[in-house]
Amino acid sequence: MKSLRFTKAKKIAVLFWAILILIPVLLPDSQYEQSLLIVCFLFAIMASGWNILSGLAGYVSLGHSVFLGVGMYTGAILGRETGVFTFYFAPIGMLTAMAFAFLLGSITLRTRSHAFVIITIAILLSVQLIVSNWVELTGGSNGIIFRSPSWARTAGNTPYYYMFLVVLVLTVALVRFIMNARLGAGFISIRDDESKAASIGINTTQYKVIAYCLSAAPYGLVGAIYSQYLGFINPTGSFSILISVYLVLAALVGGKGTLWGPVFGGFFIAFANEASTVFSGGISARVLIMGVVLVFTVMFVPQGLLVSVATMLRKRLAKDKTVEFINQAAIAERDAPLNLNNVKRAPSKAKADSSESILQVKGLYKSFGGVKAVNGVTMDIKRGSITGLIGPNGSGKTTLFNCITGTYGADSGIVIFNGTDITKMQPWTRAHMGMGRTFQITKLFKSMSVLDNLVAPLEKPSARNMLANKMQGEEVERAREILDFMGLSSFEKSNVSALSFGQQKLVEFAQILMLRPDIVMLDEPASGINPTLIERLSKAIKKLNDAGTTFLIVEHNIPLVLGLCDYIHVLSAGEIMVSGTPEEVRNNEAVIEAYLGPDTLLEGLDV
Amino acid sequence: MSNSALTLKNVFAGYGGGMVLQGLDLEVRKGSITCIVGPNGAGKSTVFRVISGLLKASEGDVLLAGESIKSLSPAEILENGVTQVPQSRALFPEMSVKENILMGGYLIRKNPKLLKERMAMVEEMIPIVRERASQPAGHLSGGQRRMVEIARTLILDPSLILMDEPSLGLDPKSVALVSELIKRMTKDGRTVLLIEQNVRLGMYLANDGVVMEAGKVRISAPAKDIAGDPEVASMYLGKTK
Repeated sequence: MKSLRFTKAKKIAVLFWAILILIPVLLPDSQYEQSLLIVCFLFAIMASGWNILSGLAGYVSLGHSVFLGVGMYTGAILGRETGVFTFYFAPIGMLTAMAFAFLLGSITLRTRSHAFVIITIAILLSVQLIVSNWVELTGGSNGIIFRSPSWARTAGNTPYYYMFLVVLVLTVALVRFIMNARLGAGFISIRDDESKAASIGINTTQYKVIAYCLSAAPYGLVGAIYSQYLGFINPTGSFSILISVYLVLAALVGGKGTLWGPVFGGFFIAFANEASTVFSGGISARVLIMGVVLVFTVMFVPQGLLVSVATMLRKRLAKDKTVEFINQAAIAERDAPLNLNNVKRAPSKAKADSSESILQVKGLYKSFGGVKAVNGVTMDIKRGSITGLIGPNGSGKTTLFNCITGTYGADSGIVIFNGTDITKMQPWTRAHMGMGRTFQITKLFKSMSVLDNLVAPLEKPSARNMLANKMQGEEVERAREILDFMGLSSFEKSNVSALSFGQQKLVEFAQILMLRPDIVMLDEPASGINPTLIERLSKAIKKLNDAGTTFLIVEHNIPLVLGLCDYIHVLSAGEIMVSGTPEEVRNNEAVIEAYLGPDTLLEGLDV
Repeated sequence: MSNSALTLKNVFAGYGGGMVLQGLDLEVRKGSITCIVGPNGAGKSTVFRVISGLLKASEGDVLLAGESIKSLSPAEILENGVTQVPQSRALFPEMSVKENILMGGYLIRKNPKLLKERMAMVEEMIPIVRERASQPAGHLSGGQRRMVEIARTLILDPSLILMDEPSLGLDPKSVALVSELIKRMTKDGRTVLLIEQNVRLGMYLANDGVVMEAGKVRISAPAKDIAGDPEVASMYLGKTK
């Protein structure tokens, strides 16, 4: 069934390309239709390129046509200087646009904020100003005029038609490649949850700059061709904000974040644009029609036409499907094998010596406004231990986690991991070094399947790793084995948001094992999980610990903590109140007073 | 029948991927605390979504005190006195405690006198509401936040309160406080339906217990029987340690 649908989609794609290729051959007199299709291709190319940055990585650019202008002017200036047609410089136009995107991105994408949207508009407008005023280079507002190729009289638009078509094919191929690669998974993870992406080894700054460059590439390529096609370019036409708005609209109408949505949307907007010119004439009618399209899209098909139709079809097909239920009793009983090499890295230089520290925190302070969340914590986590971190709600446990993993920078103090001072390091570097953590409220990538979530972590940051297909190679096998070990195999293809809270917690635990962590930091792993699975979870923790993985666990389930941990730190108001063995902590008067509660109301209630 | 606060009859419901609830029958006695337990993914939260109208049952019926609410909108169901304390943190952290609770009274905003009365009632029931009235909700501890979340639903004077894992993420001391409040809430005739993973805590709190598995009710019995049921223990509590 599944494979059948897949081939069906492929058939439609082949048919689509075949028709486009054959149109000029079968209809040689179709100059008008071809010129209309060229505009379709242009919009589809731009919407697809925009989709890489804004659809996949989630950083919305409203001034993306600046790269089209850069491509146009690169081709035009080189063409003028050398006396050749501008489209020969298309590859150089592409490289220029990418270099420009790299420069801009390196500056603007360092931070994460909505400011980026505004900055993209500002860039478009300021580049337009520069081009208008740098008369020696660009001809200023008079623009540049090119002579037509001699074949233009006989062949008309057809050669251009094929040039644009080639660029469109290349662009779709590029987006397809990215979406299948781990790089694309990285982009989507940034869109879904940027701080989580950083914590599983994704260098978010680098990824965003790459996304920006790749999304600019098709613009530069097509720009150099487009300028020759127009025959005349000027700054206001080349750096028009209206084009930027149209291409965003195209991607939204079709469905951003998908492969074919922006292509479809590009065609749709190009036709709507033409229709408004032909039937009602004038700029104001066009703006009105585009406005109506935007309102309609946002209100009725917020995910885009293609996506909405696909969802409708899928719902119809899913009507008779049965839901997989997890047989938890069976899971708890079963002892799925786990190849420890798949979840642990090769022992580092200094082999597990239980007296040695794996993680040291020294004099750590962190406050938010007037609240001192972490108030001078010093602790030492021994290699190969299971250490518990308990304390009342609001005592700073999660903030301490965030400072250790680099989600927050500490105000002062140092963190040493595996003998290296990591205080100033980025979260992804810490993940590459072997630090994995889960979150109290699970942070999974909501738009991805369970398996996609598992292959998203980037254990080693190499170019080869980033470009590899995410669904091939040993990563996927490892992911499947870990899922099986956790008893989640039957959910492999489910979207994570369809899972219950407890199941999501297990998926997140499985996810960080993909980093082959030396230390696993779990933030309330058992809350919201039913007792059978808690047992399974603690078995898994023990098994991994036996193999040398260190654990640091925040948890309120006291019997679990007491049963599992070798050593416990009790945090209260940002400070370590008591440290000791489970026995010492359980009987400590201060702990009972501040945390466990003086009354015996819940004595024996915890499972 | 007149003693029933809520009845679900042969309910089928699901999302895109198929039916999560597969013929669920559930009866909640008026004035009781009823606790649903069951494995993760058994459909417990889905039951709540069906009751509160966020998800429409494709088959079966949902009766509130004998009247069908199956085809009502979520807002209408809320007006009928069914409120929910959500699973994850849902307070507005920048707003004060009092503002948060007044947001809960959105439905009765046009009746300031009633709103004032209700506020007084809530303050009496949950003292922290008065003590911390002007503090931002974000500054409260986990247990205090949960109390304010409960207070926020009480301002509508609900007859049926749905609570999804009230003990989630709370330290032991806070769990005790929240448990005590839940017991107190039913004193004046309210009905509480709750979901708990911590079976022993749930059964300690509840009068009636319901064990769900794979979208159906597997066992429905007085809470103290369920806590001691060997079948429940084996399929659900795991082996005794």
